[in-house]
Amino acid sequence: MQISLQTNPVSLQTNPVSLSDEFLEELRTVVEQRLSTVDAVCFQHGKDESWHESMPPGAVVFAHSTEEVSEIVKICARHKIPVIPYGTGTSLEGHVGAVHGGVCIDLTEMNEILTVNAEDLDVTVQPGVRRKQLNEHLRDTGLFFPIDPGADASLGGMTATRASGTNAVRYGTMRENVLSMVVVMADGRIIRTSSRSKKSSAGYDLTRLFVGSEGTLGVITEITLRLYGIPEAVSAAVCPFPDLESAVNTVITTIQCGIPVARIELMDEVQMKALNAYSKFDYPEQPTLMFEFHGTEAGVKEQSEMVGDIADDNNAGEFQWATKAEERTKLWQGRHDSYYAAMALRPGAKGMATDVCVPISRLAECILETRKDIDEQELLSPIVGHVGDGNFHCCFIMDPDDLDEMARVESVNKRMVMRALEMGGTCTGEHGVGIGKIDYLVAEHGEALSVMRSMKIALDPDNIMNPGKIIKL
Amino acid sequence: MTENLKPENNDQVLEFVQWAVTQKMPLDVRGQGTKLGMGRPVEADHILDLSGLSEITDYQPSELFVTANAGTPMKDIYAALDQQNQQLMFEPPDYGPLLGSAVDQGTLGGLVACNLAGPRRIKAGSARDNCIGFHAVSGRGEMFKSGGKVVKNVTGFDLSKLMTGSYGTLAVMTEATLKVLPSPENTRTVLVRWAKDGDADQLNNQAMTEALVSTNEVSSAAHLPAKIAARSAVAYLNSAGSAVTALRVEGPAPSTAYRCAALKELLSKFGDVEELHTKNSKILWKEIADVSYLAANQERAVWRISVPPTEGAHVVQRILESAEADVMYDWGGGLVWLQIDEVDQASKNLIRGSVAQVGGHATLVRASKQLRQSAIVFQPLDPYMTGITKRVKNGFDPEGILNPGRMYKGI
Repeated sequence: MQISLQTNPVSLQTNPVSLSDEFLEELRTVVEQRLSTVDAVCFQHGKDESWHESMPPGAVVFAHSTEEVSEIVKICARHKIPVIPYGTGTSLEGHVGAVHGGVCIDLTEMNEILTVNAEDLDVTVQPGVRRKQLNEHLRDTGLFFPIDPGADASLGGMTATRASGTNAVRYGTMRENVLSMVVVMADGRIIRTSSRSKKSSAGYDLTRLFVGSEGTLGVITEITLRLYGIPEAVSAAVCPFPDLESAVNTVITTIQCGIPVARIELMDEVQMKALNAYSKFDYPEQPTLMFEFHGTEAGVKEQSEMVGDIADDNNAGEFQWATKAEERTKLWQGRHDSYYAAMALRPGAKGMATDVCVPISRLAECILETRKDIDEQELLSPIVGHVGDGNFHCCFIMDPDDLDEMARVESVNKRMVMRALEMGGTCTGEHGVGIGKIDYLVAEHGEALSVMRSMKIALDPDNIMNPGKIIKL
Repeated sequence: MTENLKPENNDQVLEFVQWAVTQKMPLDVRGQGTKLGMGRPVEADHILDLSGLSEITDYQPSELFVTANAGTPMKDIYAALDQQNQQLMFEPPDYGPLLGSAVDQGTLGGLVACNLAGPRRIKAGSARDNCIGFHAVSGRGEMFKSGGKVVKNVTGFDLSKLMTGSYGTLAVMTEATLKVLPSPENTRTVLVRWAKDGDADQLNNQAMTEALVSTNEVSSAAHLPAKIAARSAVAYLNSAGSAVTALRVEGPAPSTAYRCAALKELLSKFGDVEELHTKNSKILWKEIADVSYLAANQERAVWRISVPPTEGAHVVQRILESAEADVMYDWGGGLVWLQIDEVDQASKNLIRGSVAQVGGHATLVRASKQLRQSAIVFQPLDPYMTGITKRVKNGFDPEGILNPGRMYKGI
C-alpha cells in the first residue's frame, strides 16, 4: 500500500471558496459585530497545535447560542459554504483547517456550565467550556470529570474528537462519558441526540456517531457529560525501571490482575530528560511509570501494595510517592506538558505527535522497534504512552523546512503505523484522523470507508460540514 | 413460504446478502431467535439464520478481549471466560424466560444487536460500551469491519456504537469483539429492609443515590418492592416481607469488606441493614439482570423505562395512580421494569406521557405479536429524527432488506 504523507501541507488547501459581501452581510444579521475577516484572525483559526500549516477560513464568526449556530449553518447551507467548528484549536491532526475555505464558527464564547445534576451524576455544558474550568466549577460538589487530554481543551472539541487522556484505564474516554448532546445538523436543524437517562435506546445511537465525528456531521452546541465522585483517597507514584520491557510487563500484570489503577503512564528516558529540564524535576532518566490510585483509603493502600509487589518482581527502582494534592498536581501537570517539554529540547523546532495503539502484549516490541528506527534515522523523538491501553506517542521534534529530516520522520512514522496495523493495532488511539491520517485510515479500514461515506452523505448531503476531514468524498 | 438460509461461513453470509440485494428480498436476520419477541415483527419471507457461525475466533485472556462469530452461544463464551476467571463487565442479561423461551439460548450477535446490559450498567456500560469492533455485511452486499481489538481507537465514525442496538437493521454482523476483565475476587451486597413497602418511594431513591455518590464504588443499585422481593430465591429477600434495596460492592476481599461496612453505616438510618456474601449475591444480581421476577404471567405486557435515576420513582408514582402494575428498579432508579395488563391506547399514553415529562424513553419489551405490530414498540421519534433514521438506514441498506420494520414501521 502506497501512503503519502504530505510534507508541504500548504497545498492541501484547494480552491477556497470566496465569500461574497452579500453572504457576509447575511451572517452579520445573526452575529452582528462578531464576525471577522481579518487575516490574522482567520490564520489563527485555520491552525491547530500540530505541525500542519494554517488553512485559513474566509471568515470567523463568534457564536453565542445554539440558535445563532443554527442560523449561521442555515445561511451557509443555502450558499453551500463550508462550516468549520472551532473550540480551542488544540487538535493534533489539522482538524480545524479550512481545506476548502468557508466559515469558521468559534464556540469559545459559549462557555457556560448550564446545569449540574449532582444526584444523577451528570452536567450539561456549552461546547466552549474547558476541561479545567469544568473541574474548578465542580470542586465544591465533590464530583469531577476525569477525561484529561494534554491540552486544556474545550469539551465541544473533546467530544468531536472523542478525546481521551491519562485516566482512560479506569474511567474510559469521551466515548463512554458523553450522555447526550445538542447538535446543529448540516441543514441548520437543532436536534437533541438522547435524553439525560443513562440508557439510550430510542432508535440508532446518534450520540456515539457524533462523538468523534470531528465536526463532519454537525456542530455540537451543548453536551451532557457523566460525572464521578472525587475519590476518598488518591495517591500517585513515580517508579523508574531498568528497561522498557520491565516497565511494560509491570503494566500488563497490573491490568491482568484487574487492579483498577486510575492512571498508568510511561515515559521513556528521552522524555524523562525533557521532563526534568522543563518541569524542574530530578527523576532518574530511565524508562519510568507514573501511577495514580483512586478509591477508599483501604482500596488505595491495597492497590498500591499490589502494584508495588508486581513492580518489584520486574526489578523496579524505588517508588517515589506523591500523596499531597500539590505534589500530584505538579507531577501530572509535568506529564500533561510533555509535548511542550519535548519541544523545549530543541528550541525553534516543531513537534509532530504520533498516536498508534497496539495490543498490550506487543507494546514493548512495538516501542523498542520504533525507538531503534528513530535512533538509526538520527531523529529526536521522546516517547510517552498511556500504556494501560497499549497507546503510545512519539513526539518528533523537527524542522519542517529541512526536507531531508522531514523525509526521515515520514519514513519512521509510516513504518511505525504499518507495524502497529500488522500487530492488530490502530493508526490513531486518541488524536483522530483530521487531514493527517486520512491515508492511514484507508490502510486500516478500507472497506468501512464506503459505509462511513454513506453516513456522511446521509447526514450532510452537500458536504459542507468540515469537509476534507476523516474521509475524502 | 418462509425459507431458512443458514450460512456456514462469512463468505456464505456475503453471498446470501448479495443475492437478497439483487432480488430485493427482505431477510429476517437472527441467531437463535430468543429475542424475536423484542421489537416489531419483521416483514420478511426468508430467514437468515446465523446460528451456524458459532466459533470463538480469538480469545486472548492477557489482551482482555474476546472475538467470536455472531451465532456463538453466550454460554460457550461464558464457559471460556470462566476458565480464565474473566467476565464481561456489562453482565449480559438472559431475557429467555422473560420473553417466554428457555434459559441460556442467546447468541453474541443477538446480545450486541439488542444492546443489552445488566445491573453493572451504571459502572461498566452496556454491550455498546463494551463492543470495540466488528465484522459485518452491509445491506449493500459489502463486507466491512470497524473498530478493532484495542480499547482505544478514533479511526473515523464509531460504527460499532451505531451497529450495537440496531436490531440487525443496518448490517449482518458476522463477528464481534468485546472487552473482558478479570472477575472480582469478592462480591458483597448490602440490603436495606424498609419498614414500609414502597412501590414508588422517594426514600429508596435517596438511599441508592447516597450510596452511589459515596466513595464506596457501588457497582449496582436496585430496589425491589415487597411483592417482587418475595419472588427471589434468596432466603433473606423472600422472607423479608418488605421492600428491599440492594447495593453491590465488588473487588479484593479487604476493600470489599471495608466498603461494605461503610455502606451499612451510611444506610442504617433508612432501615435494617444486612449483607449477602458472594454466593447469594450472585443469585440475586442474576435474578435482577434477567428480570426473572416478571417472567411469569406471560400474557401481561412488560415495559422497560429509562429515565434520569432520580426520576424513576416519580414516573412510577404517576403511572400507579391510574393503573395496577408490578414494578422493580435497577441502575439506581434509572431503569424501571413494569409488568402491566396488555396495553390499550390509554395505558400506553399513560406510560409514554409520564416518561416524556422527565425526558426518558419507554420500550415495550414483551407483548403479543398483534400489539407489537400495531403499537410503537420503541420510543417514538419526531418527524425530523424519523427522517434522519431513514437516511442512516438507507445509507447502510438502501434496498431495505435487513430486518425491515423491526424497529420502526417502514424503516
